[in-house]
Amino acid sequence: MFTSPILDYSLLAPILIILAGALIGVGVEAFARKEQRAPLQLGIALVSVVASFVQLLRVRNVRSLKAAIDSVAFDGATVFMQGSILVLAFFALLLIADRGNFVAQASAIPGSQDEHSSIAEGKSQTEVFPLTLFAISGMMLFAAATDLITLFVALEVLSLPLYLMAGLSRRRRLLSQEAALKYFLLGAYSSAFFLFGGAFLYGYSGSLSLTGIATAIDVNSGNDVFLLIGIVFLMVGLLFKIGAVPFHSWTPDVYQGAPTPITGFMAACTKIAALGAMLRIFYVALSADVVMWRPIVTVISIITMLVGAIAALSQRDVKRTLAFSSIAHAGFLLTGIIALNQSGLKASLFYLVAYGFATIGAFAVVTLVRDSAGEVSDMNRWVGLGKKSPLIAGAFCLFLLSFGGIPLTSGFIAKFSIFTAAYESGNTTVVVFGVLTSAIALFFYLRVIVMLFFTEPKSDAVTVSVPSLKVKLVLAASVIVTIVLGVYPSLLLNSAQSFASFLR
Amino acid sequence: MSLVTVLELTPLISAVLLYAIPKGNTKLIKQAAIALSVVALGISGLIAYRFDTNATGMQFVESHNWISNFGIKYAVGIDGLALVLILLTTILTPIVLLAGWNEAEGGRWSVRTFYVLMLILESSMIAVFAATDVFLFYVIFEAMLIPVYLLIGGYGRGERAAAAMKFLLYSLLGGLLMLAAVIGIYIISTNQIGGTFETAKLATLHIDSLTENCLFLGFFIAFAIKAPLWPFHTWLPGAAKSATPATSVLLLGVLDKVGTYGMIRFCITLFPHATKTFTPLIIVLSIISILYGAFLAIGQRDINGLIAFTSISHFGFIVLGIFSMTSQGLSGATLYMVNHGFSTAALFLVAGWMVARRNSSQIEDFGGLQRITPVMAWSFFIAGMSALALPGISSFVSEFLVLVGTFTRYPVAAIFGTTGIVLAALYVLITVQRSLHGPAAPGNEGISDLNLREKIAIAPVIALLVIMGFFPKPVLDWINPSSTATMQAAGYSDPLPKAGK
Amino acid sequence: MNPYIPILVIGAIGFGFAAFSVGVAAITGPKRYNRAKSEAYECGIQPSPQAAGGGRFPVKYFLTAMLFIVFDIEIVFLYPWAVTFDKLGLFGLVEMVIFILTVFVAYAYVWRRGGLEWD
Repeated sequence: MFTSPILDYSLLAPILIILAGALIGVGVEAFARKEQRAPLQLGIALVSVVASFVQLLRVRNVRSLKAAIDSVAFDGATVFMQGSILVLAFFALLLIADRGNFVAQASAIPGSQDEHSSIAEGKSQTEVFPLTLFAISGMMLFAAATDLITLFVALEVLSLPLYLMAGLSRRRRLLSQEAALKYFLLGAYSSAFFLFGGAFLYGYSGSLSLTGIATAIDVNSGNDVFLLIGIVFLMVGLLFKIGAVPFHSWTPDVYQGAPTPITGFMAACTKIAALGAMLRIFYVALSADVVMWRPIVTVISIITMLVGAIAALSQRDVKRTLAFSSIAHAGFLLTGIIALNQSGLKASLFYLVAYGFATIGAFAVVTLVRDSAGEVSDMNRWVGLGKKSPLIAGAFCLFLLSFGGIPLTSGFIAKFSIFTAAYESGNTTVVVFGVLTSAIALFFYLRVIVMLFFTEPKSDAVTVSVPSLKVKLVLAASVIVTIVLGVYPSLLLNSAQSFASFLR
Repeated sequence: MSLVTVLELTPLISAVLLYAIPKGNTKLIKQAAIALSVVALGISGLIAYRFDTNATGMQFVESHNWISNFGIKYAVGIDGLALVLILLTTILTPIVLLAGWNEAEGGRWSVRTFYVLMLILESSMIAVFAATDVFLFYVIFEAMLIPVYLLIGGYGRGERAAAAMKFLLYSLLGGLLMLAAVIGIYIISTNQIGGTFETAKLATLHIDSLTENCLFLGFFIAFAIKAPLWPFHTWLPGAAKSATPATSVLLLGVLDKVGTYGMIRFCITLFPHATKTFTPLIIVLSIISILYGAFLAIGQRDINGLIAFTSISHFGFIVLGIFSMTSQGLSGATLYMVNHGFSTAALFLVAGWMVARRNSSQIEDFGGLQRITPVMAWSFFIAGMSALALPGISSFVSEFLVLVGTFTRYPVAAIFGTTGIVLAALYVLITVQRSLHGPAAPGNEGISDLNLREKIAIAPVIALLVIMGFFPKPVLDWINPSSTATMQAAGYSDPLPKAGK
Repeated sequence: MNPYIPILVIGAIGFGFAAFSVGVAAITGPKRYNRAKSEAYECGIQPSPQAAGGGRFPVKYFLTAMLFIVFDIEIVFLYPWAVTFDKLGLFGLVEMVIFILTVFVAYAYVWRRGGLEWD
């Protein structure tokens, strides 16, 4: 018998508002005049993000598994992750709206007459705003979805815009397009893995919902081989998104090639969504089978930390360095999954926010360092930047110190709480490796700081451009959050603690 | 608000106040910094005056919730041990600021930044000695590396960036090991008495021996790097050669004491059984440190390198005293920390003036200074005598106590330690002879003697070295109850002297 | 009997037939090589060194394909709705109108931005 579904629109509203904003944005692209588009688009995007956040705050205390039949859970973790995605996306949007990062006309062949004329006409590609909103909606759904089909749809909704956005860089367009293609091909491949794993889990449990799978594992109804294959392939798809080794090879190329604001958005928000989904899958569906997957995740986590930290040492490009640092952080974040306890969830939530703000701030600084040809991401040319612009360089150092986990920055509390959670669950190996890799990682953060502050600047044309109001806002917010969460983390830890729960 | 908190905040507020002075007015900045650090000295004097020598346990206690999710508190309090080290900090800071009047010029950043960093460093050193919450201690322990790093890297000499980096990496590596141990002990406390970081409560935990050993090592290695104990010392000579004299004094004189202080406060108190297990090994390491530092000091041609290696030797004595597990040894070690602070201060400051005047740090470039610059030469001589622990100068008392304390439990170690004294005589006297006596080395004729500012700066240090040599009782009165309490808490009683000997 | 076994059997037969055909052809078929055989198209058309337009496929075809997909997807969703129209009632109607409107936004975008103009 077929009955009409019951949807709880107030709980879905945060996602729906973002989607509505995106659709209006597409409408604006279709009907508004060229010169009106950019301010209109930014306005629409910011308003829908804020409206969505307000709606989320209004329903933050509702807990329901029936937001959209059985496919979307509205629980503490959902609220926290959707909220942090929205807040970080707000700042990422400000960064995206900053001038001159995006291609004038994406369809023009790099270096062609078309390109020159489109730049001369002052065209700009404002489609990036609706695309961002689509990606945000996908991320929000990905963090909340409780069945494998919805998860897959959300994964695609968040990924497809990102593939496109990675190719929109204004400078070095070939690199950017290469990044987009690489990201797309590998991403599509990993999506296939995800789907394949989902199929096996369905074959094992006869259910697509996470709770159904959990029940099947509890009563041990199916074939364990199917279960293992399912877990592993599902994991491949998810690990790809968070950039864990050995599925990390896209990360440096894409981070380097994509327009810097997009890289920041991707690094901060995608990580929340992907890790959020991963946490949900492992905590809700697979927690009973921890014996089977914990060794795998532990090994991947350790390798990820090590590869991220060691490979970063040899990088010469700031964006690639940040990419490897994000890989190392993916490894640290995986310890939150290994922990599989409430502290682990709490720590992961805190970590994601702390890392997200530092990341967006760091990429905001990258957009400011320029020469006549645009952004300079070659590290050798960043030398002595502390002298040219102490404030900006100082902010960048603060973010690096936070990545490195120096006390009194948010990164330290994040690392401390996630290692505490892992230790609490008895996984001391991963803690010891985490601590040791932190030391390696610190070396390359410090190397960058030495370059910025302790080396004489070369006389070349690299300048730190004066940040616009939007970038100033982003930088100020990131600096403040990084320091405040380092000095008085209870502000966020308390809410992370109260929101750290999954409905089953 | 406890007086200790006030004392912690004073230099920090002073640092902020310095920003009210325009960047260009360097003279006013220097005067203000010194005046404000004297205020901090005054407050610490008040604390010392109000300190009850008869009471056991922590005084001037204050505790607030900081990060309640992990039971982390802002908890401070001092006992005699912490008191003397805080006094050492507050006395030395105005002295080095006065002595290093010209050090900040020609640095990478402004003069104001130098004084701001110095004051932040002072504040964090006071806080680290006063912290009774392990997490608070750890945070400050790590955070205070940053000002030192900037001071060496920004205002140092020679290969300053590399030396600063080496210092920072070593310390951070140690710190991270300690972090793992801090997390470990926190989890154990969560399982037993509810999560806490309070030192007093953590000491009551029951930990299985394997875990205890691992946690002990986590703390100990961090402190051994900081102290620095052989074989974790390799960062020190570079840092000492590159840092300015004022920074060197605070680094070796005070900051490195955090390592030995931490051994007493955390290693012994929190992990008494593991301490028992590792004591023989640590005694051996400290003996190696004593001899290794002394031998390398004899071979040094660079005057700052020499002081660095003598310090390694002296830190060997301090660690030996601590792990002799007698209250005499521990009191001696604590007193040694203070005396070594003043003695290195004198050595580094005078050596710094000599180097600045001669524009060379090679010992052989000096010579005949006794006749050309008598006051400077005498200051250096007395500082040198304190380094070799001449009776009548303060270091003698502490070295004697350490050796006596060690002898009652580990006679062989004490004998080896005594040879360290002989070697000390060798390296000090050779240096004194080469640099002060003999014919004036070419280029030395025009060297001027200490000016009034430098005399004022060095006078209190020399005075303290002599006064505490003859009359160490007030300081020992502060220290002794704490040492006895620490040893009792760790389950040790002093071995009785054998009758008839 | 396990319901998967027939599927497996059919799969095995299919695979076996393919392998058999390829194998037999390789073994028994005559092998005569000449120039025409080694060309890309065996029908006699000469492959030109480079396609017109620098090897790039005209984007118009792509646009048409995308538009087709937009409406294709719409139809795919309209079918089940048509079947369950009675049962879903007003809810289904409203949802479908919203859905068609959303698809229409994409169509409007393509139309306004010149995607429908062939030249």
